[in-house]
Amino acid sequence: MAAAAAAAEGPDPGSVALEVASVSVNYGQFVAVESATFSVGAGECVAVIGPNGHGKSSMVTAVAGLVRRGGTVRVFGTALPVGDPRAAVRAGLVLVPERRHLYPQLTTRDNIMLGSYSHTRRVWARQAWAEVAGVLDMFPELAPLLDQKAGTLSGGQQQMVALARGMAARPKILMLDEPCLGLAEVVTHRVYDWLGAMTATDMTIVLVEENPVHALRVCHRAVRMYRGLVEQPAGEAGPDGPGPDGPGPDGPGAVSA
Amino acid sequence: MSEFLNLLAAGLTSGAIYGILGACLAVWFRVCNVLNLAVGDFAMLGAIGTAVLVQNDDIPFVAAIVVDLVAVGVVAWLFDRLVLHFAFDRRAGGHGIVSVFFYTFGLSLVIEGAARALFGTDVHSAPAIWSGPALTIADFHVQRAGILVIALAAVSGLALWAYLHFTVSGRAASACGESVLGSRIVGIDSALFRRRIFIMTAVLAALFGVVESPLTGFTYQSGPTISLIGVVAAGFAAFRRPGRAVVVGLVLGVAEAMLGGYVSTEYNDVLLYAILFVILIVQPEILGLSAVLA
Repeated sequence: MAAAAAAAEGPDPGSVALEVASVSVNYGQFVAVESATFSVGAGECVAVIGPNGHGKSSMVTAVAGLVRRGGTVRVFGTALPVGDPRAAVRAGLVLVPERRHLYPQLTTRDNIMLGSYSHTRRVWARQAWAEVAGVLDMFPELAPLLDQKAGTLSGGQQQMVALARGMAARPKILMLDEPCLGLAEVVTHRVYDWLGAMTATDMTIVLVEENPVHALRVCHRAVRMYRGLVEQPAGEAGPDGPGPDGPGPDGPGAVSA
Repeated sequence: MSEFLNLLAAGLTSGAIYGILGACLAVWFRVCNVLNLAVGDFAMLGAIGTAVLVQNDDIPFVAAIVVDLVAVGVVAWLFDRLVLHFAFDRRAGGHGIVSVFFYTFGLSLVIEGAARALFGTDVHSAPAIWSGPALTIADFHVQRAGILVIALAAVSGLALWAYLHFTVSGRAASACGESVLGSRIVGIDSALFRRRIFIMTAVLAALFGVVESPLTGFTYQSGPTISLIGVVAAGFAAFRRPGRAVVVGLVLGVAEAMLGGYVSTEYNDVLLYAILFVILIVQPEILGLSAVLA
């Protein structure tokens, strides 16, 4: 399976895969992320939870290099330059963005194939596809849809294409931003079953999810974002304990899946 | 029969002009959703620049073409660095109607003004690449420059179509126009594609100007008219399909020549725009070429 191949290139377990230190994001006057600091061990699956509008998406898009940020992001010890998504992808840090951002006029096949853009050395699209076609083992439901334009697929199918495109990038660290937003229950289950299988590999996963019940089905632990700040879960180096509205049933904390 | 063949030759020649410019517009629009309304001005720079270099500065013809094409490429590169870069890379979501038309429209005006100052208001044409009298086969006459224009249209249309459809780079270029964020997350540099293809189409348009100018001649004001022809041809090709733009351009040119030859030349423009409006309103797909040049 392609995931196993990707994971085989991964580092020793126990090391730190992703280190986010004092990352901040401003949109003009508006501070979307004040300061986010957390780290994710290699092979770990960590959820970033918290209510809508508190900076989760801004934080992961900044970590992926798509928006300007302050602070430091290290992938397996190497600092990533600011605002350079190519460097992030080459380092193995791959984002599956909220609302998918597929290429609607291109076929499913091309959408998935372009996931490999940063590492493929092929000139011809057909050969590049042959190199990544293995991701279909994970998403067999996409096989009959390969020649269909992505814009004509259902929301659930499009989410599968987005995941397949992400896997075609050979991620060492996969960040998923709200992968089940607006999807039917049955598709949500499909996505989480797949994620559960991925946690068994040594790929590192960062899952942004508004719904902590979903997230903690598959994640080892969670960090919580509130008003642009990452709160450290209890038991880690969090200085202030729970956030202003208290931990609550969906609060942070080192919850085991 | 000979009248038909001669009309066909004339139609294919003017159709090739539509086609090349349509292809230049369509491929860049596909990458960044902006119409290059300065494409005709690049053609004008190609034609007049080469003509002036040969006539006034006594530079050998081939060297003049090379110098001119490089200069056009530099102008295109500068425009990208100084205007498009700040308009699109530094500002999120700058894809309104203003950006679609007005940056390149402004460039067109600037080039026109500069060309007037540099080259004056005379009609210029570059020397013929393939000189000699019109070729005659039986009663069928065709200008040599016309053959070169048709060949350039066919080659560039085919090459662009193959690039977009069969190469990873071409698919990535298409992806840029579909979703900027979606292309950036997989490591595609959308600004680089926008710049490369802008420069490439500017140089292609300039080369077209060199090849075509023995037929019609160019003045500093020729640009916008040619750009408009390109917009029409690209419009027939849904603004995204350079291969189809060439085919449509050839068909339009022939239709126009036939109408002019057998009915009256009075109706040429009317026909062109009437068909365009109908197709834009009803459905670009009714041209029935999508299966061939998807």
